[in-house]
Amino acid sequence: MLNPDVLKKFSSIVGPERLKTSKEDLLTYAYDAYVLEYLPDAVLFPKSPEEVSQIMKVASAHKISITPRGAGSGLGGCALAKNGGVILCFTMMNRILEINTANRYAAVEPGVVISEFQKEVEKLNLFYPPDPGSATVATMGGAVLMNAGGMRGVKYGVTRDYLLGLEIVLPSGEVMKTGGLTPKDVTGYDLTRLICGSEGTLALVTRITVRLLPKPKSRRTLQAIYNRIDDAGNTVAKIIEAGIIPATLELMDKSIIKALEDSAHLGLPLDAEAVLLIDVDGDLETVEKQATLVADFCKSLGARDVRVSQSEKENEQLWVARRSAFGAVARMRPTCVIEDVTVPVSYLTAAIKKVIEISERNRVQIAVLAHAGDGNLHPLVLCDQRDKEEMERVEKAMDEIVDYAMSVGGTLSGEHGIGIAKAKYLPKQLSGTSLAMMRAIKKTFDPQGILNPGSFLEYAA
Amino acid sequence: MITKEIREEVHNCIKCGLCLTPCPVYKQLCFEGASPRGKVQLIKNVLEGKLEPSENFHRLLFTCLLCETCTANCPSGLKVDRLMKAMRAELLEKFGLPWKKKMLFNLLVSDRLLPFFLFWGRTLGPSLLSLLPKDGKIGTIPYAKLPRLNRKALRAQYPEIIPAPDPKGRVLYFTGCATNYLFEGVGRAVIHVLQRLGVEVIIPRGQVCCGLPIFLAGARKMALKNIRKNLELFNRDDVDAVIVDCATCGAALKKEYTHILEEMGESPEGAKALGRKVLDISQYLARFDLGKLLRPVAARVTYHDPCHLLRSQGVKEEPRNLLRRIPGVQFVEMAGADVCCGGGGTFQWEHPDVASGISGKKVQSIKETGAGIVASGCPGCRLQICGNLGEDAIETLHPLELVARALP
Repeated sequence: MLNPDVLKKFSSIVGPERLKTSKEDLLTYAYDAYVLEYLPDAVLFPKSPEEVSQIMKVASAHKISITPRGAGSGLGGCALAKNGGVILCFTMMNRILEINTANRYAAVEPGVVISEFQKEVEKLNLFYPPDPGSATVATMGGAVLMNAGGMRGVKYGVTRDYLLGLEIVLPSGEVMKTGGLTPKDVTGYDLTRLICGSEGTLALVTRITVRLLPKPKSRRTLQAIYNRIDDAGNTVAKIIEAGIIPATLELMDKSIIKALEDSAHLGLPLDAEAVLLIDVDGDLETVEKQATLVADFCKSLGARDVRVSQSEKENEQLWVARRSAFGAVARMRPTCVIEDVTVPVSYLTAAIKKVIEISERNRVQIAVLAHAGDGNLHPLVLCDQRDKEEMERVEKAMDEIVDYAMSVGGTLSGEHGIGIAKAKYLPKQLSGTSLAMMRAIKKTFDPQGILNPGSFLEYAA
Repeated sequence: MITKEIREEVHNCIKCGLCLTPCPVYKQLCFEGASPRGKVQLIKNVLEGKLEPSENFHRLLFTCLLCETCTANCPSGLKVDRLMKAMRAELLEKFGLPWKKKMLFNLLVSDRLLPFFLFWGRTLGPSLLSLLPKDGKIGTIPYAKLPRLNRKALRAQYPEIIPAPDPKGRVLYFTGCATNYLFEGVGRAVIHVLQRLGVEVIIPRGQVCCGLPIFLAGARKMALKNIRKNLELFNRDDVDAVIVDCATCGAALKKEYTHILEEMGESPEGAKALGRKVLDISQYLARFDLGKLLRPVAARVTYHDPCHLLRSQGVKEEPRNLLRRIPGVQFVEMAGADVCCGGGGTFQWEHPDVASGISGKKVQSIKETGAGIVASGCPGCRLQICGNLGEDAIETLHPLELVARALP
């Protein structure tokens, strides 16, 4: 419980409308898209950097825990008040401040929804590539603090690669700028990219400046169906080896195919082991050349059926399967845990086969989607969180998947973050020295430990 | 009692949040309690006994348009709207109905009061209106933009059976309250077009309000008499179809009756049988070749999808095809045609601020098309859009009214 005097101070900063403390409001900020829940003591909705700064001054004076939150679509519990305290929710601070076509950058407030920002810049023939699966709801601030990735990562990279500068508020309430407006900038440490992916443990972001690209002129989608998952894996390797960088390179395994056929009846063959969905984009000439080449690779490496779209409309038709995949799988069981271990791309097929083996051995239902081009697996683990015994098997399967990823030089999390979901695995990947370094950095930013307490650094042994 | 099947829905929510931004209400308010995910989680807490169904909970439950956008977007296929409706019914006893709604609903369930009000409203309406402040509003709709009551109820303007010489079809016409009392032009257009196509139209006497506004507010028992009466009158085997011109009535007759009876533990068989017969007028007309009959109407036209037609009934292309088929009509899609207009029945009355934000966006999309006419087959949407268009000379019509203009 928060001291009433502190609440009064918060209320005087944001007004009573944007301070929520009713039980109903607290319950709706106790969860994100992860399984566990923690009840906060209050939820505040700032609308300006000044308000954020004042809130942090009060919080540090009274040692109040502050946990930043965007839309709450995160998959690891990062935006939850693990130790109670205040949720600082940025959804009402949601203006696009500037889209600069001459210098190709844009500045936004943290609560702007990613896909809405993308739509606005595309109207001006510009392009902001990072597109996490949650882009239609997730906020830019959340994307920065989590370093969100997405399907276009293979060609265009992740959120980190587009940041020019940030305005941040430190736990003390001080406002600070990192980076600037220029893509080239080697003045001092790169604090922009330190904040990016810090899971809200170092500072709060109040203004984000990103660089934009020219919008690709054309795009072609290819769909290739394989009887053997190894052939799909070989195709991925071949495309990469040939020096082609597709805009997206997605893989769906046989469980996904089955789920899609059960729910959406798209006409995919049930005896296939894998489907690859490949986008190439750029100038029309290059795109057509690459599409032909990729189609040839698919055929020569054993695809039983290859389709190449001829228009934007056909692109979208081929994408229906991939876009429906998550829903088709998610509705099979009450709970769906979305894993995201990532392996060096040459281990992709081996990793998928390993996941399937682990799933069968532990009697856990797992369907595998993958951003195949960058080795990022998304095992969708289907279960019912009310079933304790089943959840134990799920946990064991997860442990084994993580161990496998570690054994081939992969990472615990490609794009979802550590949060509380994966904190216990942290020492498997980070050395004691590395963890100590991270804790020292945390201490420098947040000596009192009031920002997002209970997150990954504290959990890890 | 909320049925087991509906209760189970709360456990199928994986809390992914994909329902947030598509929700028009959340988009205005930007806090979780206003979102579908938030409401589902609160209902879960109530059902598990962890939260008292408080005043605040009740208020949030009604801070919802029931536009079904969440249900349509949910990757897990949650029937969010059915959960919301069942929970509203569950809370009725505890919270009752607000007096305004009670008055309105009493009017709608009574077959005597409505005609009485029609007469006096028509007679005294203008002088009563002139007593009201000029810039006054009901919710977001200025008094000046309210439609005039029909001179005579539509059903009193026609015989029960409007025969056709060598009938090409035979339908029962459920006129709904809006057409019967407010928008007689729609009813006349429907009857005119059907007559021109040689369809025999039967307008069963004694039909009553579909009851949807009543049972969506949770008052299921109050609506039961109406449901039974309509089932009795319209469940007939000697017709091709039961047609409706109102998206909301269509949703009620096609599926809501079945859900309610099922959830109240009554036999839903009659409602299911009726549901199979009910067609929106645009669906029924798709059976005919209108092409040869239509005369040119020069107009730039856009179309707004009523929630109760698009999401409740899955009718998307038929009304558009009707409009496109009229020679001279230049059809333009507006951005976000499928987004709720913000009316939501009594929602705009209770939450004018939220509603006007949503309607503002809709109006902007309409204006951006440069259309002179916006067509939509729902009286609620029509009131809301017309009421929020301001001084703009854009006409709001039912698609059938435009078809009738092309079919002299």
